[in-house]
Amino acid sequence: MSCQDWQTRLEAYVDAELSPQEREAFLAHAAQCPECATATLALAEAKRAIRRTGRRYLAPAELRSRLLTDLRQTGANKTSEPHQPRLVHWPRQAMAAAALVLLAVGLFFLASQYRRPNSLGEFADLHVANLAGANPVEVVSSDRHTVKPWFQGRVPFTFDLPDLQGSPFTLTGGRVTYFHQEPGAQLIFGYQRHIISAFIFRDTPQLAITPTSFSDRSTSFNLQTWTQNGLRYVLVSDMNATTLGQLAELLQKN
Amino acid sequence: MKAASDRVREFENLALPLLDPLYNFARWLTYDTAEAEDLVQETFAKALRGFDAFTPGTDFRAWMFRILRNTFLTSRTGLQAKLTVPLDPEDEVSATVTWETPEVLALASATREALQDALAALPAAYREVVLLCDVEEMKYAEIAEVLQVPIGTVMSRLARGRKLLREALGGERHFVARKEANKRR
Repeated sequence: MSCQDWQTRLEAYVDAELSPQEREAFLAHAAQCPECATATLALAEAKRAIRRTGRRYLAPAELRSRLLTDLRQTGANKTSEPHQPRLVHWPRQAMAAAALVLLAVGLFFLASQYRRPNSLGEFADLHVANLAGANPVEVVSSDRHTVKPWFQGRVPFTFDLPDLQGSPFTLTGGRVTYFHQEPGAQLIFGYQRHIISAFIFRDTPQLAITPTSFSDRSTSFNLQTWTQNGLRYVLVSDMNATTLGQLAELLQKN
Repeated sequence: MKAASDRVREFENLALPLLDPLYNFARWLTYDTAEAEDLVQETFAKALRGFDAFTPGTDFRAWMFRILRNTFLTSRTGLQAKLTVPLDPEDEVSATVTWETPEVLALASATREALQDALAALPAAYREVVLLCDVEEMKYAEIAEVLQVPIGTVMSRLARGRKLLREALGGERHFVARKEANKRR
Protein backbone atom coordinates (compact mmCIF):
# COMPACT_ATOMS: atom_id res chain seq x y z
CA MET A 1 0.00 0.00 0.00
CA SER A 2 1.27 3.44 -0.85
CA CYS A 3 1.57 6.31 1.55
CA GLN A 4 -1.50 7.92 0.06
CA ASP A 5 -3.55 4.77 0.61
CA TRP A 6 -2.42 4.68 4.23
CA GLN A 7 -3.46 8.28 4.75
CA THR A 8 -7.07 7.22 4.38
CA ARG A 9 -6.60 4.49 7.00
CA LEU A 10 -4.93 6.51 9.75
CA GLU A 11 -8.16 7.33 11.55
CA ALA A 12 -9.17 3.69 11.41
CA TYR A 13 -5.80 2.83 12.97
CA VAL A 14 -6.29 5.39 15.72
CA ASP A 15 -9.80 4.04 16.34
CA ALA A 16 -8.28 0.54 16.62
CA GLU A 17 -10.36 -0.64 13.68
CA LEU A 18 -7.60 -2.16 11.57
CA SER A 19 -7.31 -5.92 11.34
CA PRO A 20 -4.18 -7.35 13.01
CA GLN A 21 -2.56 -7.87 9.61
CA GLU A 22 -3.38 -4.36 8.47
CA ARG A 23 -2.11 -2.98 11.74
CA GLU A 24 1.17 -4.78 11.38
CA ALA A 25 1.56 -3.58 7.81
CA PHE A 26 0.74 -0.05 8.89
CA LEU A 27 3.25 -0.07 11.75
CA ALA A 28 5.91 -1.26 9.32
CA HIS A 29 5.00 1.59 7.01
CA ALA A 30 4.89 4.18 9.81
CA ALA A 31 8.37 3.14 10.92
CA GLN A 32 9.60 4.25 7.48
CA CYS A 33 7.34 7.24 7.00
CA PRO A 34 7.68 10.17 9.40
CA GLU A 35 4.75 11.92 7.73
CA CYS A 36 2.31 9.12 8.48
CA ALA A 37 3.79 8.64 11.94
CA THR A 38 3.41 12.32 12.83
CA ALA A 39 -0.09 12.47 11.44
CA THR A 40 -1.06 9.36 13.40
CA LEU A 41 0.27 10.80 16.62
CA ALA A 42 -1.61 14.04 15.96
CA LEU A 43 -4.84 12.14 15.27
CA ALA A 44 -4.40 10.12 18.44
CA GLU A 45 -3.86 13.30 20.43
CA ALA A 46 -6.93 14.86 18.90
CA LYS A 47 -8.95 11.79 19.84
CA ARG A 48 -7.66 12.03 23.40
CA ALA A 49 -8.55 15.72 23.55
CA ILE A 50 -12.10 14.97 22.44
CA ARG A 51 -12.33 12.16 24.99
CA ARG A 52 -11.15 14.43 27.81
CA THR A 53 -13.62 17.13 26.85
CA GLY A 54 -16.46 14.77 26.10
CA ARG A 55 -16.29 12.96 29.43
CA ARG A 56 -17.76 15.82 31.24
CA TYR A 57 -20.89 15.04 33.18
CA LEU A 58 -21.34 12.62 36.07
CA ALA A 59 -24.79 11.38 36.96
CA PRO A 60 -26.10 13.27 40.02
CA ALA A 61 -26.27 11.20 43.20
CA GLU A 62 -30.06 11.73 43.47
CA LEU A 63 -30.57 10.23 40.04
CA ARG A 64 -28.57 7.17 41.03
CA SER A 65 -30.53 6.67 44.23
CA ARG A 66 -33.82 7.31 42.44
CA LEU A 67 -32.98 4.64 39.87
CA LEU A 68 -31.94 2.23 42.61
CA THR A 69 -35.21 2.78 44.45
CA ASP A 70 -37.15 2.17 41.24
CA LEU A 71 -35.22 -1.01 40.56
CA ARG A 72 -35.58 -2.32 44.11
CA GLN A 73 -39.30 -1.66 43.97
CA THR A 74 -39.66 -3.54 40.73
CA GLY A 75 -37.55 -6.32 42.18
CA ALA A 76 -39.73 -6.53 45.29
CA ASN A 77 -42.91 -6.60 43.23
CA LYS A 78 -41.58 -9.37 41.11
CA THR A 79 -40.54 -11.42 44.15
CA SER A 80 -44.15 -11.60 45.22
CA GLU A 81 -45.05 -13.32 41.98
CA PRO A 82 -44.08 -16.82 43.14
CA HIS A 83 -47.09 -16.67 45.47
CA GLN A 84 -49.26 -16.87 42.42
CA PRO A 85 -50.05 -20.52 41.81
CA ARG A 86 -49.12 -20.61 38.12
CA LEU A 87 -45.46 -20.10 38.87
CA VAL A 88 -45.43 -22.90 41.41
CA HIS A 89 -46.33 -25.31 38.66
CA TRP A 90 -43.50 -24.15 36.49
CA PRO A 91 -40.30 -24.84 38.37
CA ARG A 92 -38.62 -26.09 35.25
CA GLN A 93 -39.21 -22.86 33.36
CA ALA A 94 -38.03 -20.89 36.37
CA MET A 95 -34.90 -22.98 36.52
CA ALA A 96 -34.35 -22.49 32.83
CA ALA A 97 -34.72 -18.75 33.36
CA ALA A 98 -32.24 -18.85 36.24
CA ALA A 99 -29.84 -20.83 34.07
CA LEU A 100 -30.18 -18.21 31.36
CA VAL A 101 -29.44 -15.48 33.86
CA LEU A 102 -26.37 -17.38 35.02
CA LEU A 103 -25.30 -17.81 31.44
CA ALA A 104 -25.80 -14.12 30.81
CA VAL A 105 -23.82 -13.19 33.91
CA GLY A 106 -21.09 -15.61 32.87
CA LEU A 107 -20.96 -14.24 29.37
CA PHE A 108 -20.94 -10.73 30.69
CA PHE A 109 -18.00 -11.43 32.95
CA LEU A 110 -16.25 -13.21 30.14
CA ALA A 111 -16.84 -10.20 27.92
CA SER A 112 -15.56 -7.85 30.59
CA GLN A 113 -12.45 -9.99 31.01
CA TYR A 114 -11.77 -9.54 27.34
CA ARG A 115 -12.37 -5.88 27.61
CA ARG A 116 -9.99 -5.31 30.49
CA PRO A 117 -6.73 -5.31 28.58
CA ASN A 118 -8.23 -2.34 26.74
CA SER A 119 -8.22 -0.29 29.89
CA LEU A 120 -4.59 -1.30 30.31
CA GLY A 121 -4.13 -0.23 26.72
CA GLU A 122 -5.51 3.14 27.73
CA PHE A 123 -2.67 3.46 30.21
CA ALA A 124 -0.23 2.83 27.38
CA ASP A 125 -1.99 5.65 25.48
CA LEU A 126 -1.77 7.87 28.51
CA HIS A 127 1.93 7.10 28.87
CA VAL A 128 2.63 8.01 25.24
CA ALA A 129 0.35 11.03 25.11
CA ASN A 130 1.67 12.53 28.34
CA LEU A 131 5.27 12.06 27.33
CA ALA A 132 4.56 13.56 23.92
CA GLY A 133 2.91 16.61 25.46
CA ALA A 134 4.56 19.96 25.95
CA ASN A 135 5.08 19.38 29.69
CA PRO A 136 5.76 15.70 30.15
CA VAL A 137 6.95 16.31 33.69
CA GLU A 138 5.38 18.91 35.97
CA VAL A 139 7.64 18.42 38.94
CA VAL A 140 11.16 17.70 37.82
CA SER A 141 13.18 16.18 40.61
CA SER A 142 15.05 13.03 41.40
CA ASP A 143 14.42 13.61 45.09
CA ARG A 144 11.52 11.58 46.37
CA HIS A 145 11.11 14.05 49.22
CA THR A 146 10.39 16.76 46.64
CA VAL A 147 8.21 14.73 44.33
CA LYS A 148 5.94 13.18 46.95
CA PRO A 149 4.98 16.44 48.76
CA TRP A 150 4.38 18.13 45.39
CA PHE A 151 1.31 15.93 44.95
CA GLN A 152 -0.24 17.21 48.17
CA GLY A 153 -3.54 18.84 47.33
CA ARG A 154 -3.16 17.83 43.70
CA VAL A 155 -4.34 14.24 44.04
CA PRO A 156 -6.88 12.99 46.59
CA PHE A 157 -4.56 10.43 48.21
CA THR A 158 -0.98 9.99 49.29
CA PHE A 159 1.58 7.33 48.53
CA ASP A 160 5.13 6.40 49.39
CA LEU A 161 8.09 6.47 47.10
CA PRO A 162 10.91 3.96 47.43
CA ASP A 163 14.53 4.79 48.01
CA LEU A 164 16.13 4.10 44.66
CA GLN A 165 19.72 4.31 45.94
CA GLY A 166 21.61 1.29 44.70
CA SER A 167 18.93 0.33 42.21
CA PRO A 168 19.30 0.77 38.44
CA PHE A 169 16.27 3.08 38.37
CA THR A 170 16.17 6.84 38.69
CA LEU A 171 13.28 9.12 39.49
CA THR A 172 12.73 11.81 36.87
CA GLY A 173 9.67 13.51 38.29
CA GLY A 174 5.93 13.44 38.20
CA ARG A 175 2.75 14.99 36.97
CA VAL A 176 -0.96 14.96 37.63
CA THR A 177 -2.97 12.93 35.16
CA TYR A 178 -6.56 11.86 34.72
CA PHE A 179 -8.12 8.51 33.99
CA HIS A 180 -11.88 8.19 33.65
CA GLN A 181 -12.31 11.57 35.36
CA GLU A 182 -10.21 10.49 38.35
CA PRO A 183 -7.15 12.55 39.17
CA GLY A 184 -4.05 10.49 39.75
CA ALA A 185 -0.29 10.67 39.94
CA GLN A 186 2.04 9.77 37.13
CA LEU A 187 5.59 9.17 38.28
CA ILE A 188 8.27 9.06 35.66
CA PHE A 189 11.23 6.79 36.22
CA GLY A 190 14.27 6.21 34.10
CA TYR A 191 16.16 3.01 33.42
CA GLN A 192 19.13 3.54 31.13
CA ARG A 193 17.41 5.32 28.22
CA HIS A 194 14.01 3.82 28.88
CA ILE A 195 11.19 5.81 30.37
CA ILE A 196 8.75 4.17 32.75
CA SER A 197 5.46 5.67 33.84
CA ALA A 198 4.02 4.63 37.17
CA PHE A 199 0.36 5.60 37.37
CA ILE A 200 -1.26 5.73 40.78
CA PHE A 201 -5.02 6.12 41.13
CA ARG A 202 -7.57 5.44 43.80
CA ASP A 203 -8.71 1.86 43.23
CA THR A 204 -12.21 2.06 41.80
CA PRO A 205 -14.27 -0.79 40.36
CA GLN A 206 -13.61 0.56 36.85
CA LEU A 207 -9.94 0.00 37.50
CA ALA A 208 -10.38 -3.63 38.56
CA ILE A 209 -7.91 -5.06 36.08
CA THR A 210 -7.40 -8.80 36.31
CA PRO A 211 -4.25 -9.64 34.39
CA THR A 212 -1.45 -8.29 36.54
CA SER A 213 0.94 -8.01 33.67
CA PHE A 214 0.16 -7.43 30.08
CA SER A 215 2.04 -6.92 26.86
CA ASP A 216 0.25 -4.75 24.40
CA ARG A 217 1.32 -6.46 21.23
CA SER A 218 -0.09 -3.75 19.01
CA THR A 219 2.13 -1.14 20.62
CA SER A 220 4.72 -3.46 22.21
CA PHE A 221 4.40 -1.79 25.59
CA ASN A 222 4.70 -3.81 28.75
CA LEU A 223 2.36 -3.12 31.61
CA GLN A 224 2.13 -4.32 35.18
CA THR A 225 -0.53 -3.54 37.67
CA TRP A 226 -1.40 -4.23 41.28
CA THR A 227 -3.28 -2.70 44.17
CA GLN A 228 -1.80 -1.63 47.44
CA ASN A 229 -3.35 0.33 50.32
CA GLY A 230 -6.48 1.01 48.28
CA LEU A 231 -4.45 2.40 45.39
CA ARG A 232 -4.13 1.04 41.90
CA TYR A 233 -0.63 1.06 40.47
CA VAL A 234 0.03 0.66 36.76
CA LEU A 235 3.53 0.56 35.32
CA VAL A 236 3.95 1.21 31.61
CA SER A 237 7.14 1.03 29.66
CA ASP A 238 8.76 -0.19 26.51
CA MET A 239 11.18 -2.22 28.67
CA ASN A 240 11.05 -5.96 29.16
CA ALA A 241 8.67 -7.36 31.73
CA THR A 242 11.40 -8.68 34.04
CA THR A 243 13.09 -5.33 34.59
CA LEU A 244 9.71 -3.70 34.94
CA GLY A 245 8.95 -6.28 37.63
CA GLN A 246 12.01 -5.11 39.58
CA LEU A 247 10.65 -1.60 39.76
CA ALA A 248 7.25 -3.00 40.74
CA GLU A 249 8.93 -4.83 43.62
CA LEU A 250 10.68 -1.68 44.79
CA LEU A 251 7.40 0.21 44.78
CA GLN A 252 5.62 -2.60 46.57
CA LYS A 253 8.17 -2.67 49.40
CA ASN A 254 6.72 0.51 50.84
CA MET B 1 -38.10 -19.08 43.56
CA LYS B 2 -36.72 -15.65 43.08
CA ALA B 3 -35.95 -15.77 39.39
CA ALA B 4 -37.80 -12.55 38.61
CA SER B 5 -36.12 -10.45 41.28
CA ASP B 6 -32.81 -12.03 40.32
CA ARG B 7 -33.55 -10.84 36.85
CA VAL B 8 -33.90 -7.28 38.18
CA ARG B 9 -30.66 -7.62 40.08
CA GLU B 10 -29.03 -8.94 36.95
CA PHE B 11 -30.26 -5.91 35.06
CA GLU B 12 -29.02 -3.67 37.84
CA ASN B 13 -25.55 -5.21 37.69
CA LEU B 14 -25.36 -4.67 33.98
CA ALA B 15 -26.97 -1.26 33.80
CA LEU B 16 -25.67 0.67 36.79
CA PRO B 17 -22.05 0.76 35.61
CA LEU B 18 -23.40 2.47 32.48
CA LEU B 19 -25.15 5.20 34.42
CA ASP B 20 -22.39 7.79 34.13
CA PRO B 21 -21.71 7.18 30.43
CA LEU B 22 -25.44 7.22 29.65
CA TYR B 23 -25.99 10.39 31.64
CA ASN B 24 -23.01 12.06 30.01
CA PHE B 25 -24.35 11.15 26.59
CA ALA B 26 -27.83 12.37 27.57
CA ARG B 27 -26.40 15.70 28.69
CA TRP B 28 -24.60 16.16 25.39
CA LEU B 29 -27.81 15.38 23.54
CA THR B 30 -30.14 17.58 25.59
CA TYR B 31 -27.90 20.28 27.11
CA ASP B 32 -30.20 20.22 30.08
CA THR B 33 -29.78 18.65 33.50
CA ALA B 34 -33.42 17.91 34.21
CA GLU B 35 -34.07 16.63 30.73
CA ALA B 36 -30.99 14.41 30.81
CA GLU B 37 -32.09 12.95 34.14
CA ASP B 38 -35.56 12.21 32.82
CA LEU B 39 -34.09 10.69 29.71
CA VAL B 40 -31.84 8.36 31.69
CA GLN B 41 -34.63 7.40 34.04
CA GLU B 42 -36.96 6.62 31.16
CA THR B 43 -34.20 4.64 29.47
CA PHE B 44 -33.69 2.51 32.57
CA ALA B 45 -37.43 1.91 32.93
CA LYS B 46 -37.83 0.97 29.27
CA ALA B 47 -34.76 -1.24 29.29
CA LEU B 48 -35.88 -3.12 32.40
CA ARG B 49 -39.33 -3.66 30.90
CA GLY B 50 -37.78 -4.94 27.71
CA PHE B 51 -34.92 -6.79 29.36
CA ASP B 52 -36.38 -10.15 28.33
CA ALA B 53 -35.95 -9.11 24.72
CA PHE B 54 -32.25 -8.52 25.30
CA THR B 55 -30.20 -11.44 23.99
CA PRO B 56 -27.66 -12.44 26.63
CA GLY B 57 -24.12 -12.29 25.39
CA THR B 58 -24.84 -9.56 22.86
CA ASP B 59 -23.74 -5.99 23.39
CA PHE B 60 -25.65 -4.67 26.39
CA ARG B 61 -24.01 -1.25 26.24
CA ALA B 62 -25.03 -0.71 22.60
CA TRP B 63 -28.54 -1.88 23.53
CA MET B 64 -28.83 0.66 26.35
CA PHE B 65 -27.43 3.51 24.28
CA ARG B 66 -29.84 2.61 21.50
CA ILE B 67 -32.80 2.81 23.86
CA LEU B 68 -31.59 6.14 25.24
CA ARG B 69 -31.09 7.58 21.79
CA ASN B 70 -34.46 6.38 20.51
CA THR B 71 -36.14 7.79 23.59
CA PHE B 72 -34.38 11.07 22.98
CA LEU B 73 -35.42 11.20 19.33
CA THR B 74 -39.09 10.93 20.29
CA SER B 75 -38.78 13.68 22.91
CA ARG B 76 -39.52 17.29 22.10
CA THR B 77 -35.88 18.38 22.09
CA GLY B 78 -35.04 15.33 20.06
CA LEU B 79 -37.63 16.08 17.41
CA GLN B 80 -36.31 19.61 17.16
CA ALA B 81 -32.74 18.37 16.89
CA LYS B 82 -33.76 15.93 14.19
CA LEU B 83 -35.19 18.76 12.12
CA THR B 84 -32.00 20.74 12.27
CA VAL B 85 -29.83 17.82 11.20
CA PRO B 86 -28.86 18.05 7.57
CA LEU B 87 -29.34 14.94 5.49
CA ASP B 88 -26.11 13.11 4.88
CA PRO B 89 -25.37 13.54 1.21
CA GLU B 90 -21.95 11.97 1.71
CA ASP B 91 -23.35 8.89 3.39
CA GLU B 92 -23.12 6.97 0.17
CA VAL B 93 -19.66 8.23 -0.60
CA SER B 94 -16.91 6.41 1.24
CA ALA B 95 -15.18 8.51 3.87
CA THR B 96 -12.56 10.41 1.94
CA VAL B 97 -10.16 11.96 4.41
CA THR B 98 -9.16 15.52 3.83
CA TRP B 99 -7.23 16.49 6.92
CA GLU B 100 -4.00 18.37 7.37
CA THR B 101 -1.70 17.57 10.28
CA PRO B 102 -1.53 21.21 11.52
CA GLU B 103 -5.31 21.28 11.61
CA VAL B 104 -5.38 18.08 13.63
CA LEU B 105 -2.80 19.47 16.03
CA ALA B 106 -4.87 22.63 16.43
CA LEU B 107 -7.72 20.45 17.63
CA ALA B 108 -5.46 18.44 19.91
CA SER B 109 -4.10 21.56 21.56
CA ALA B 110 -7.35 23.51 21.71
CA THR B 111 -8.48 24.60 25.15
CA ARG B 112 -11.12 22.53 26.82
CA GLU B 113 -13.62 25.39 26.53
CA ALA B 114 -13.01 25.85 22.83
CA LEU B 115 -13.33 22.14 22.17
CA GLN B 116 -16.45 21.98 24.32
CA ASP B 117 -18.07 24.77 22.32
CA ALA B 118 -17.07 23.20 19.04
CA LEU B 119 -18.51 19.84 20.10
CA ALA B 120 -21.72 21.49 21.27
CA ALA B 121 -22.01 23.36 17.97
CA LEU B 122 -21.75 20.19 15.87
CA PRO B 123 -25.01 19.06 14.28
CA ALA B 124 -26.45 16.32 16.48
CA ALA B 125 -25.97 13.57 13.88
CA TYR B 126 -22.23 14.17 13.87
CA ARG B 127 -21.88 14.98 17.55
CA GLU B 128 -23.37 11.68 18.65
CA VAL B 129 -21.06 9.64 16.42
CA VAL B 130 -17.97 11.51 17.59
CA LEU B 131 -19.03 11.08 21.22
CA LEU B 132 -19.74 7.37 20.86
CA CYS B 133 -16.45 6.76 19.09
CA ASP B 134 -14.04 9.02 20.95
CA VAL B 135 -15.64 9.32 24.37
CA GLU B 136 -17.33 5.94 24.79
CA GLU B 137 -14.67 4.30 22.64
CA MET B 138 -17.17 2.13 20.85
CA LYS B 139 -16.17 0.14 17.80
CA TYR B 140 -17.68 1.23 14.49
CA ALA B 141 -19.84 -1.90 14.54
CA GLU B 142 -21.14 -1.06 18.00
CA ILE B 143 -21.99 2.50 16.96
CA ALA B 144 -23.78 1.12 13.91
CA GLU B 145 -25.86 -0.97 16.30
CA VAL B 146 -26.70 2.03 18.48
CA LEU B 147 -27.72 4.17 15.52
CA GLN B 148 -29.17 1.32 13.45
CA VAL B 149 -27.30 2.42 10.36
CA PRO B 150 -24.67 0.69 8.19
CA ILE B 151 -21.03 0.85 9.29
CA GLY B 152 -20.18 2.90 6.20
CA THR B 153 -22.54 5.60 7.40
CA VAL B 154 -20.88 5.57 10.81
CA MET B 155 -17.49 6.03 9.20
CA SER B 156 -18.52 8.85 6.90
CA ARG B 157 -20.38 10.69 9.66
CA LEU B 158 -17.38 10.27 11.94
CA ALA B 159 -14.98 11.59 9.31
CA ARG B 160 -17.29 14.49 8.57
CA GLY B 161 -17.89 15.28 12.24
CA ARG B 162 -14.20 15.33 13.01
CA LYS B 163 -13.55 17.48 9.97
CA LEU B 164 -16.15 20.00 11.15
CA LEU B 165 -14.50 20.05 14.58
CA ARG B 166 -11.10 20.68 13.08
CA GLU B 167 -12.47 23.44 10.89
CA ALA B 168 -14.11 25.05 13.90
CA LEU B 169 -10.90 24.94 15.90
CA GLY B 170 -8.35 25.58 13.21
CA GLY B 171 -9.25 29.30 13.41
CA GLU B 172 -7.02 32.31 13.52
CA ARG B 173 -4.65 31.06 16.16
CA HIS B 174 -3.38 28.45 13.75
CA PHE B 175 -3.75 30.48 10.65
CA VAL B 176 0.00 30.75 10.17
CA ALA B 177 0.54 27.03 10.48
CA ARG B 178 -2.14 26.38 7.90
CA LYS B 179 -0.83 28.96 5.51
CA GLU B 180 2.56 27.32 5.70
CA ALA B 181 1.04 23.97 5.04
CA ASN B 182 -0.77 25.37 2.02
CA LYS B 183 2.43 26.87 0.69
CA ARG B 184 4.11 23.50 0.90
CA ARG B 185 1.52 21.88 -1.30
